[in-house]
Amino acid sequence: MIRLHNVAKVYDGGVVAVQEVSMDVRKGEFVFLVGPSGSGKSTLIRMCLREEKVTRGKIWVAGKDITKLPTWRVPYLRRTVGTIFQDFKLLPTKTVAENVAFALKVTGCPRSIVRRQVNTVLELVGLSAKTDRYPRQLSGGEQQRVSIARAFVNRPPILLADEPTGNLDPATSVGIMRLLDRINRTGTTVMMATHDFAIVDAMRRRVVQLDRGRVVRDQGESGYESSEET
Amino acid sequence: MSTFLFLIGEAFVNLRRNALVATGAVLAVFVSLALAFGALVFNELVRVNTLQWQQGDHLIIFLKDEGGPVAHSELLAQINDYPEVKNAWYMDKAGAYQEFLEIYSDQPALAATVTAADLPASIRVELDDISTYQEVQFRLVGHPLLRRLSVFSEGIERLLSLTGVLNSIGFGLVVLMGASAVVLIANTIRMAIYARREEIAIMKLVGAGNWFIRVPFIIEGATVGLLGGGLAAAAVFASHNLLERIPTDILIRFQVDQGFLLSRAILILAFGGLAGFIGSSLGLRRFLRV
Ligand SMILES: Nc1ncnc2c1ncn2[C@@H]1O[C@H](COP(=O)(O)OP(=O)(O)OP(=O)(O)O)[C@@H](O)[C@H]1O
Ligand SMILES: [Mg+2]
Repeated sequence: MIRLHNVAKVYDGGVVAVQEVSMDVRKGEFVFLVGPSGSGKSTLIRMCLREEKVTRGKIWVAGKDITKLPTWRVPYLRRTVGTIFQDFKLLPTKTVAENVAFALKVTGCPRSIVRRQVNTVLELVGLSAKTDRYPRQLSGGEQQRVSIARAFVNRPPILLADEPTGNLDPATSVGIMRLLDRINRTGTTVMMATHDFAIVDAMRRRVVQLDRGRVVRDQGESGYESSEET
Repeated sequence: MSTFLFLIGEAFVNLRRNALVATGAVLAVFVSLALAFGALVFNELVRVNTLQWQQGDHLIIFLKDEGGPVAHSELLAQINDYPEVKNAWYMDKAGAYQEFLEIYSDQPALAATVTAADLPASIRVELDDISTYQEVQFRLVGHPLLRRLSVFSEGIERLLSLTGVLNSIGFGLVVLMGASAVVLIANTIRMAIYARREEIAIMKLVGAGNWFIRVPFIIEGATVGLLGGGLAAAAVFASHNLLERIPTDILIRFQVDQGFLLSRAILILAFGGLAGFIGSSLGLRRFLRV
């Protein structure tokens, strides 16, 4: 589903954020990206969305080489990849339902289908009662659930999450992780960057650890720290 | 279709959020287009009011009906003998009616209420030197046949020669104002983009294509232009209505044809919309690189 081959990213100014990263995420997998601050997790995710271009190497997402993707095709890439961020990235002037609907509207989806899909997915994330609220009227956990609903509403094969629990307390985080786990069980491939070792330890999934832009560990059903050392 | 309606809705929500800046742009477009429209109407007014003078005559002596054509031709002979006069000719009631029909060709209703008998015959005079018109006037004072004397004054002469200059100045002004309206709208849109840059980033992240993001801005710009143009048209119609209330002499017109007004109003409106479209497209240029 996601394949990186010898990927490197050098930012303007010479900061080497990622180097020689190769990895392969199969369909339906759940992968944690861990590593200290500045190790290149966000950069990796942004390159998979074509928010940043690779400096070297190749990335395939859903079978397509996105490093060669013409600019006008980028929106289509982003419709096959749901995204969740630490700061939720909700549109402040739209209600919960409108925010979720937006991801479908950009695809030109007819209104009746939009309404049905939005209701279904808001039920899935447990926000049916708050569809007409604005983001500022919601708690952080609720806002993150709206953004998960938006990421999932058009059933993308891939979900990328960059520290989705970074702004939430542990109890709320558990709720969010349950949701992501459920989505993963529907067959959606999930790649999630996080600092939260409690979550990684509890989930026991594949862990890819980065350090200074390189992959230093890639281990299935693992915890935040290398299990070999314990 | 539902996508397009959605984008129109977005545009209007955004206009409301951006109301203050948008109002400024609407007013600027309004002023420039009202000036342009006003210039067009003024031009038309000059044209209809100088129609009679375009054969090169300097004086029109309107005659009373008493004595009829016989007395009139005696006076014509007399005037032709004046040293200042180069050439004088007689226009009878039928000719006056023809002229009347030509001048008011756009107002058949008015034309229908007037017959040849209602219009005075006249003697049209061409002078060797226009500045001598007062001498002719002086000779005719108190003449029993004289109804009224109308002078192609130096003022009118100047006005006529000025219209050419006025026209080109007006044209330049209209072009300049039009350009400033376009730039202003471009700037408004640029500011709107800046104010919404975070939202735009989110929209792109969710997979919104370039046009999906651009169309609301273009609709916004076109709406600003159309509103400005509409206000300009309304203002010109209103002031035209005021002018129409001035009691008019049959020979001076303060009104132009409704058809003329309407067609130019549509032109102004279309220009406003176009200015908005071009302006917002300009404002959107070099923006939206993914
Ligand atoms: N836009 C940018 N321009 C220049 N350098 C950048 C940019 N974004 C990130 N970097 C640098 O690239 C390196 C990797 O950053 P990145 O955000 O990918 O790290 P991260 O692993 O997500 O860290 P964190 O856990 O703190 O979010 C850092 O040294 C950072 O300073
Ligand atoms: Mg990061």
